[in-house]
Amino acid sequence: MATKQGFFTRLLDGKHAVIGIPYLWFILLAAVPILIILKISLSEMQGTSVSNMIDWSNGWPKLTLNFSSYQFIFSDSLYLKTYLSSIKYALLTTLICLVIGYPFAYFMARSPKHMQPTLLMLIMLPFWTSFLLRIYAWKTLLENNGIINNVLMSLGVIDAPLQMMNTPFSLMIGMVYSYLPFMILPLYANLSKLDMRYLEAAADLGTSPFKAFWLITVPLSKAGIIAGSMLVFIPTIGEYVIPELLGGSSTLMIGRVLWNEFFSNNDWPMASAVAVVMILLILVPMAIYNKSQAEAEMK
Amino acid sequence: MSQATNNKIFSNLWMIAVYLFLYLPIFTLVVYSFNDSKLISTWTHASLRWYEALIKDDDLISAVLLSLKIAGISALMSVFFGTFTAFALNRYKRFKGRTLLSSMSSMPLVMPDVIVGLSLLLMIISVQHWLGFPEKGLFTILLGHALLGTAYAAVVVTSRLREMDSKLDEAAMDLGCKPWQVFYLVTLPLLLPALISAFLLTFTLSFDDVVLSSFLSGPGYSTMPMVIFSRARLGLNPTINAVATVTIVVVTFAVIASSFYTSHQARKRKREEAQAYSDSNK
Amino acid sequence: MATAPKEINQPAPEVLLRVENVTKIYDGTVKAVDDVSLTVNKGEIFALLGGSGCGKSTLLRMMAGFEMPTKGKIFLAGQDITNLPPYQRPINMMFQSYALFPHLSVWENIAFGLKRDGMPKDQIAERVEKMLNLAQLGKFAQRKPHQLSGGQQQRVALVRSLAKRPQLLLLDEPLGALDKKLRETTQLELVNIIEEVGVTCVLVTHDQEEAMTMASRIAVMSEGYFLQVGAPDAVYEMPNSRKVADFIGNVNLFDGVIEEDEADHVTVRCPECVHYVGHGVSGHTGMAVGVALRPEKIMLSDKKPKGEYNWCEGEVIEIVYFGAHTTYHLKLDSGKVIKAQELNNTRDLSCGLTWGDRAYAHWNDLAMVVLAQ
Repeated sequence: MATKQGFFTRLLDGKHAVIGIPYLWFILLAAVPILIILKISLSEMQGTSVSNMIDWSNGWPKLTLNFSSYQFIFSDSLYLKTYLSSIKYALLTTLICLVIGYPFAYFMARSPKHMQPTLLMLIMLPFWTSFLLRIYAWKTLLENNGIINNVLMSLGVIDAPLQMMNTPFSLMIGMVYSYLPFMILPLYANLSKLDMRYLEAAADLGTSPFKAFWLITVPLSKAGIIAGSMLVFIPTIGEYVIPELLGGSSTLMIGRVLWNEFFSNNDWPMASAVAVVMILLILVPMAIYNKSQAEAEMK
Repeated sequence: MSQATNNKIFSNLWMIAVYLFLYLPIFTLVVYSFNDSKLISTWTHASLRWYEALIKDDDLISAVLLSLKIAGISALMSVFFGTFTAFALNRYKRFKGRTLLSSMSSMPLVMPDVIVGLSLLLMIISVQHWLGFPEKGLFTILLGHALLGTAYAAVVVTSRLREMDSKLDEAAMDLGCKPWQVFYLVTLPLLLPALISAFLLTFTLSFDDVVLSSFLSGPGYSTMPMVIFSRARLGLNPTINAVATVTIVVVTFAVIASSFYTSHQARKRKREEAQAYSDSNK
Repeated sequence: MATAPKEINQPAPEVLLRVENVTKIYDGTVKAVDDVSLTVNKGEIFALLGGSGCGKSTLLRMMAGFEMPTKGKIFLAGQDITNLPPYQRPINMMFQSYALFPHLSVWENIAFGLKRDGMPKDQIAERVEKMLNLAQLGKFAQRKPHQLSGGQQQRVALVRSLAKRPQLLLLDEPLGALDKKLRETTQLELVNIIEEVGVTCVLVTHDQEEAMTMASRIAVMSEGYFLQVGAPDAVYEMPNSRKVADFIGNVNLFDGVIEEDEADHVTVRCPECVHYVGHGVSGHTGMAVGVALRPEKIMLSDKKPKGEYNWCEGEVIEIVYFGAHTTYHLKLDSGKVIKAQELNNTRDLSCGLTWGDRAYAHWNDLAMVVLAQ
């Protein structure tokens, strides 16, 4: 009977396979790779050859921890500057998305109920069309001989083309453009659930609409603000495609440094070390995000 | 009253401005794909020249076909593993290492693509040194896209699982279903809409990815975004506008059609429920 | 404490379900069910009654096979089913909020369990037809659950669980999802169908009226164990503890001491009054006891009753009108508040008492129950 019971309980939940399959999948493709870049970041490039980097066929004792890549990152001001400027651009993107997105989400949540699905779909639609193509589209708009300059010049507003491409301006346009929906969607989800009766109660108690907005709507949508901000901030820090296509060489972003270390310099330990520091940078906002999500789930 | 009207005008203007911002680039992309000029930004006159160029562009066509193939397979893989992940995390609330699984599964969502790509590539190279395979190419791109897709599919399936009544599983078992029968007779049919949207989402993600593919592809395997990216880096290219227009048209139709379908279904359901209620009160 | 309810001599009933010393512990510490034993006879409708978290649902789920007991055994018709998975038990359950499969039609929902048994197609059709007729849902066979009203869904759920002709039917809060007005009619339909089929039932409910009207026996549960098991009238009129008296219906409780202990009567002295109980109890003189008195057994008047027993005096502090009856809250001189329920059997509001009036409450010598402390 005892074995039979074991057999049945296992049949009853099928637990082992259901947990085992995704576990194996993520261990192999998410956890192990991260450990490997951690390990490689602590080794050294020997010569220009790639293969002699992989020295673990010689066994563990051969591996000596080598912090030179990290030393380099923290001594060379270019890396520090790049990290700081990545954070700066990410923060700026988050802020601009919030300033544009919050009122938008608020108005959307207050618009007639039958309109809301359409309005929502219109926000989602660009998300379904290629991100790369949309960034490319901005390039055609912002180039010196691009559409905006051409239109402005033909209207006589300007005489010479404005330098918009390859500036922080074009970078911010691209980032805000790409990540705005990530700000709007959680905010809308939050604001549309907001109970209008709170505002009615506030009005009933003599609060002006403006005050009610700051005292009630904003605090109650805190979870949405945090979620949206983190969903914008985290991916923008490591963004590669937008700075590569719109930012030009003058705007420093860490994603591009990583790419170049790997593809141009073939310096794997350096690329890995840059990645590890980037992961550490992301951990803090990630923890904030997870905490706010867990709290929202509790409610 | 005038205060309220002003507010209304302000909010409408704000929304219109945001929608303009979101759609302006897409709109110009489409319009200028019909521009005859080689200089993309100067309008001369309408023509289908770039579409002809597109049809003759073998590199791009084969890249599109490769991308479709990768997107299809990796989306299937994503839905498969994502469903398992969602089940593991939602049906078994307590098991050793649940937190680890949940953070591993959300990792590809939050990690920048460059890190996911780099770490996967270095892992694959390590394995290659050990075992002699896999070669960089189709299989490695699939792994990368499926990893990313699994994370997204898990989110989509999870949200559906959460709203599904777990009593239905028990009812099925109570009526004589063995666990695997419960899955394919009850859970799977109810999960189907979520699986379809997970498939579409992960298909789109894969079809759109440039960073992971760049890390993971080998010689001879250039996906459509990789080709577009390398051309866009060099400058403007009207053929890209033509490709863009084609994808935009396809996607827009698909999205609008599916959202009409779902809202139609929802309305029908509401009507029927109301009907059932009024019938019972007769 | 009180004498046992009268029992009609019948041949010993056949035991269908036997629960033996079942305990369920969650997470090693939380005792949901605590050493419960019970037997349910064939043909009986047995109710597990209790508040939320009393363990009634856990006990039901162990009968269905969704939970395994930590200790103890469950037998069905003599066979040990403790470790059988739900799909191998000849037991079916009607779920709270029904758990109808939303993607299947009414017909397919009812046929679902039969198909799993590999029943031939024509027999399935025949059985489903019968079930549809039983539930008077013949013309709704092809509808999906969301196209049905609450009451219709409830009937589908019932006949779905009856379709396999289970030996035991489990009902989890069968009327919980219906609004008040629908409950009465649905309850009658439910009992009629169950009686027509003649299936043995165990039902779980938090609603005492539901338990009393549907069940032939009730187990009152609290904190994982049974407080009292008995017929509905026995549990109501002869609660064996303060907890049961308090849980089932409204009750006024007086603390007192047995003053006189005779074979045919006892008197209990309380601070508010002296109770004269017209039957013997198993206690002794000087024993501290409680006296439970239901509000509907108290009569109010503005005149002082004769005699020295079974009355008290107070001020009317609250009058709550319910339509069919009115409840008066009487504040006694000791500060204790008792409730008295008066039937509104004429259209002029009965005894003419109003807020602030002095009133006398009195009751007869078989109205109360003496409870041990």
